[in-house]
Amino acid sequence: MVTEEEIEHVSKLIKIDIDDHKEYVEKVRAMIDYFDVLDSAGVESEEISMPEISISNLRADEHIPFDDKLIEKLNHYKGTYVRAPKMSS
Amino acid sequence: MNLKISALDYVQEVKTGNISAEDFVAKTIERIQSVDSTLNAFLSVNEKSVDQARGIDKKIKSGEKVGDCFGMPISIKDNMCIKDSKTTCASKMLEDFIAPYDATVITKLKQQDAIFVGKVNMDEFAMGLTTEFSAFGPSKNPWNTDCVPGGSSGGSAVSVSALECVASLGSDTGGSVRNPASFCSTVGYKPTYGLISRYGLISYANSIEQIGPLARTVKDTAFMLNLIAGIDPNDNTTIDNKNEDYLTGIESGIEGKKIGIIKEMMGEGIDPAVLSATKDAISKLESLGAICEEISLDMVKYSVAAYYTITATEAGSNLARYDNLRYGYDFPLEGYEFNSYISKARRNFGPEVTRRMIIGGFVPSAGHAGKYFLKALKVKSKLTKEINDAFKKFDLLVAPTVPILPFKIGEKIDDPVSLFLVDINTVTANLTGKPAISVPYANSNGLPIGIQLMADSMNDKLLLQAAYALEQTVSLPEVPL
Repeated sequence: MVTEEEIEHVSKLIKIDIDDHKEYVEKVRAMIDYFDVLDSAGVESEEISMPEISISNLRADEHIPFDDKLIEKLNHYKGTYVRAPKMSS
Repeated sequence: MNLKISALDYVQEVKTGNISAEDFVAKTIERIQSVDSTLNAFLSVNEKSVDQARGIDKKIKSGEKVGDCFGMPISIKDNMCIKDSKTTCASKMLEDFIAPYDATVITKLKQQDAIFVGKVNMDEFAMGLTTEFSAFGPSKNPWNTDCVPGGSSGGSAVSVSALECVASLGSDTGGSVRNPASFCSTVGYKPTYGLISRYGLISYANSIEQIGPLARTVKDTAFMLNLIAGIDPNDNTTIDNKNEDYLTGIESGIEGKKIGIIKEMMGEGIDPAVLSATKDAISKLESLGAICEEISLDMVKYSVAAYYTITATEAGSNLARYDNLRYGYDFPLEGYEFNSYISKARRNFGPEVTRRMIIGGFVPSAGHAGKYFLKALKVKSKLTKEINDAFKKFDLLVAPTVPILPFKIGEKIDDPVSLFLVDINTVTANLTGKPAISVPYANSNGLPIGIQLMADSMNDKLLLQAAYALEQTVSLPEVPL
């Protein structure tokens, strides 16, 4: 069973603050516990197959002019820079 | 004016001058204004749509070339970008986001003179199957407004079913087009993976999601597919369909076709009314000349767990971009350190998205990946082998789209695992990349039941032919709203 501490640790790593801690932990734990059904699938020896995409299908790397000023669509910018909060030292 | 006409009938009526695009679109907007305060299908309405329809009428009158849609009013799930329009993904996080470009499907429909009457509701970032997880409130099922319309493309299905548009585009990651189509009595289509470009679709789980049309009839669905399918240099997972015409030959029938009945999708937990409707549909398919036999796909039992493990992992990666710096809502930077700012900003994600992001961080992490993520990928591989083997024997597979009837709003919202299991019949097509369709088939005490047909990859044309044949065997009641 997944522990509360493990869920808390992952939440911090992915930078998510949780308000109603108990409710989140219980539901997340129920969801992850359900995934235990995968243990009985008997797929240990199965090879993982991934679709391959040929690099010949890639589009040409061409400059396409964009008339709008994308930076102005951001909430926080100054001149041509994205504004961000200060980093901790 | 009859708003219930099919897309093909609409095109014919406007082309021949029996109705004008302006009148039809104006009536459609009136309909939205009249019913949507109850249904909550639309998150935004295009105020310029009547003017745009008038422009189409002018083109027709002046003999200019007009696109195949002739001003047909279409709704778009709010996770597809329309340039200079709000694209919220039904999330507070993107409440103010204005798309700077058009999705490829939008470009294609604009070229064919479609009119986008509005953006429609969905579960936040397409994570859900009831539309209850929209940050802007749930949509309601027009067949019974106490019930969920399905999801995540609930707004799309509601808008088609309640005559608020002629057709819609949704996206299907684990059944998100087919599930609401089944719950709202519309046709819903999930194409072969790669048939429709995902460029401009806000990503949730890229490896399995597809845009798909919802429409009143199977022919309308084929018509829509003709307009939006095909290779796209902006999405290198797209495949060349050689400009296949999905409408031509749609009436070919299914005489002699072999159809597998998926045992694992008709078992424990299925509603008796759904089971009865499915058995009846199988009898109809047999009466049309198909040969139906049961088939077992053992991995279906594990498909839901594999699906949620894989999608949460991809979602965790995709949603990491929402730090409120490049996209986001009005939340000042001052007084925050970098990490704490992002954590605070992400509080604007709703509860289901937050849960799935946590799961998406957990299941592929060091120490857990072998137990969850890698095992899920192995189930996906084995399921694909099983279904490929099935298609060596059968032309098509059949099952109910959803094993239960539409349920009450709020009934399952606090029980995520019981919600998971509603997806049991739809996720297989996504995990294996196969095309699948939900056809409205029956109505039990006023609640719709859909039947799902599935075909092998790139057999979309055959699938639509079979769906059309099945559709011709039923006569369904009018939507009561």
